[in-house]
Amino acid sequence: MRGPLALCGILLAAVTAAACTESLEGGAACPSLCPAKAESFRDTIVDAVALDSSVAGFPSLGLSPYLLLANRPDTVVTSGVIRFDALPTVFSANRGTTVDSITDVDSVYLRFPLDSTGRVGTTPVTLEVYDVDTTANDSVTAVVRSLFRPDRRIGSLVFTPAAIGDSIRIPFSRTVMAAKIAAKGRLRLGVRIAGGSGQLRAISFVNGAGAPSVVFDPSTDTIYAPQQITPSTIVPNTTADVELAYSVYTISDLASPPPGPGTLVVGGFPAYRSYLRFNVPSRITDSSTIVRAEVLFTQRPSSYGNARDSVALLALVPTTTELVSDLRRVLDLSAAGSFAGVDSTRMVPASSGVRTVNILALARTWRTLPNNVPRAIAFKIGLEGGQPAELRFYSSEAAVTLRPRLRITYLPRSEFALP
Amino acid sequence: MIRHPLRTFASLATVALLTTVSARPLAAQGSISGLGFGYPVGGGSVRTNGTGGSFMEFDALTPVNPAALGGLTRTVISAQAEPELRTLTSNGVSENSRLQRVPLVMIVFPARRGVAVSLSAASFLDRTFTTSETGAAQVDGAPVSTTDLTNIRGAINDLRAAVGWQINPRFRVGVGGHIYTGEHQATRERTFSDSLAFGNVLDSSRVTYFGSALSVGGEATLGFGFTVLASYRHGNGINARVRDTVVSNANIPSRAGLALRYDGIAGSVFAVGLEKNRWSDMRALGSANSVSADGTNWHAGAEVSGPRVRGLPMLVRGGYARNQLPFSAVGQSARENRLTAGLGIPVAREAASLDLSVQRATRSMTGSAVKEAAWLLGIGVQIRP
Repeated sequence: MRGPLALCGILLAAVTAAACTESLEGGAACPSLCPAKAESFRDTIVDAVALDSSVAGFPSLGLSPYLLLANRPDTVVTSGVIRFDALPTVFSANRGTTVDSITDVDSVYLRFPLDSTGRVGTTPVTLEVYDVDTTANDSVTAVVRSLFRPDRRIGSLVFTPAAIGDSIRIPFSRTVMAAKIAAKGRLRLGVRIAGGSGQLRAISFVNGAGAPSVVFDPSTDTIYAPQQITPSTIVPNTTADVELAYSVYTISDLASPPPGPGTLVVGGFPAYRSYLRFNVPSRITDSSTIVRAEVLFTQRPSSYGNARDSVALLALVPTTTELVSDLRRVLDLSAAGSFAGVDSTRMVPASSGVRTVNILALARTWRTLPNNVPRAIAFKIGLEGGQPAELRFYSSEAAVTLRPRLRITYLPRSEFALP
Repeated sequence: MIRHPLRTFASLATVALLTTVSARPLAAQGSISGLGFGYPVGGGSVRTNGTGGSFMEFDALTPVNPAALGGLTRTVISAQAEPELRTLTSNGVSENSRLQRVPLVMIVFPARRGVAVSLSAASFLDRTFTTSETGAAQVDGAPVSTTDLTNIRGAINDLRAAVGWQINPRFRVGVGGHIYTGEHQATRERTFSDSLAFGNVLDSSRVTYFGSALSVGGEATLGFGFTVLASYRHGNGINARVRDTVVSNANIPSRAGLALRYDGIAGSVFAVGLEKNRWSDMRALGSANSVSADGTNWHAGAEVSGPRVRGLPMLVRGGYARNQLPFSAVGQSARENRLTAGLGIPVAREAASLDLSVQRATRSMTGSAVKEAAWLLGIGVQIRP
């Protein structure tokens, strides 16, 4: 008798100990035995846009990673300026220890790395190089533009844009180069496409590498390795940022049209950015969980530039308080939308209709923002400054049904712990 | 001779209990026993549970009838764990779950002249479960597939301080004060099948409870081995608070219990009991969805001496209980039948004992095809230093 009971006791103790783990599985008895479901979702479309506006002039001078060289008289015409204010006067022959003075040069080229997706044009065009150095005030665009004239042209290359590879070399005058080195001067080159319609998208900065450069032989003796100079400039009494901006920049000779009344524009050349500020009821942002948030735009067809190629609409998250009222400054201080989890949206400029932009991740952060930070979003176009394309939308000045709106689906918070 | 094995046993028991307690009490699904404010654990000792609850009126380590404390002459420290292995069957689909409870911790101090004092903490109502439910939400007029995961964790506990007095060998009386405290923490996560357009919802809620009650009890020996026992708990108020705001008020359910014990055969104890709980006193505490009904519970059980272990008898127990569960769905009532068995194993002579119980519970609800069956396994230790 004692044996079986002891065995039972040991077995029971063992099973009890084994049962001390936990297991969560369930739902078969739902809905009859399950807690009441959450309240129904509420879906609302609110004319929450308290302010919207398009701001021109992006990207800031010289701060684009791309240099758009275009001669498309019906769309956009641009020129580029690249400054080489520090020219070498000596060289180490074949990287040896001996230093020789540069007295003559040979095989002088301006070289651009290219973004091959930005090529437009199937007929030959001429890429012209100008000497745009001047003692006049060359921070004035008109002054620089006036220097693109025949007597200052120092090099050219005929090519077909669609057939070009991932870089291009334009030969220019060795005499000019040698003279500037001898004079311990500076080399400031202007570049533009002429003689036909075409477009190139050169890379101006990629993390300090991949910039345009001048390559030359520091001697007429070809046994010496070529020298390479990267852009740099000196602008007295200014900051390093300004100097960086003036190293490589674009001049717009024919720009995209302005937005016009009742219209928001994102993109174009120079590009516009659009800013929207929302007035969302606090009962939604503070006392609910937002499960869907979309900006509804009514798109207007655009015929500007590459109107039938899809482009990316990128979000920006304004971070400034109400104390900053200058929209340009607000946009300059905005963070990339990716930081707030807002993805890009692709659209075709030539199409029209209602477009939705998912801003759920951003809307969910509004509850945590201080009251003096406006609930807002801004948009810029992908490849800003590197492509002539724009997206047009009706603004809040348009008819009621065409205005930007905010669609929010939310679930009011509830106290549901009490059975 | 006694002290060394006692110390060894105490160490092992402590380790075992700590291991049990460290497993966070988690639970099951939407179930019959998990409705409303939860399952009425009752706070019975392993001995009481092994006898179908029929010993609750006179078992000193069950914090029901304070008169049971009267006449105790040794300090007793008691703790127990009670995992539950539950199977829910609905529409031909069965789900298994495991719950872990530590339903009772108690200490009893003897005083002079037949008086003893006890402090105890017992689970009163255990509401711990998780449900996962798929469905669809209407968003902008269109259905969107969703999954709702609801977690409820919590309990209302009964903290009792009681005094029992053995007036003479035939009469014992007692009085106890109860504080009921606890909380329910709930989280609800709703996920969408279209996770690109919709974000998840994670909501949480917490409610705390505080209430009190007073209990009295008595025991009278009738002769011929029969003893009659009775107890009554008068429920005072209980409130529910969300943060600092009282959201509802009600009363702790009043309870009346009556039992008859027969110990006229040496080494054996037989008992039958009846208790009535006025659970409707709690109705106002919950939301309109909460349904509570008064319940009557019947118990019968026995404990007999078995083979001797180190000179002391091992106790063998069995019992049966028929309970009405307090919470159910609208228009329905929930019932529970229990078949129970148990062992009381002396350890370290009279200085400690190990109690084991096993209960087979079947639960059903009128008008519902949902069935529930559970194994409740109890393990408890008593140390009498």
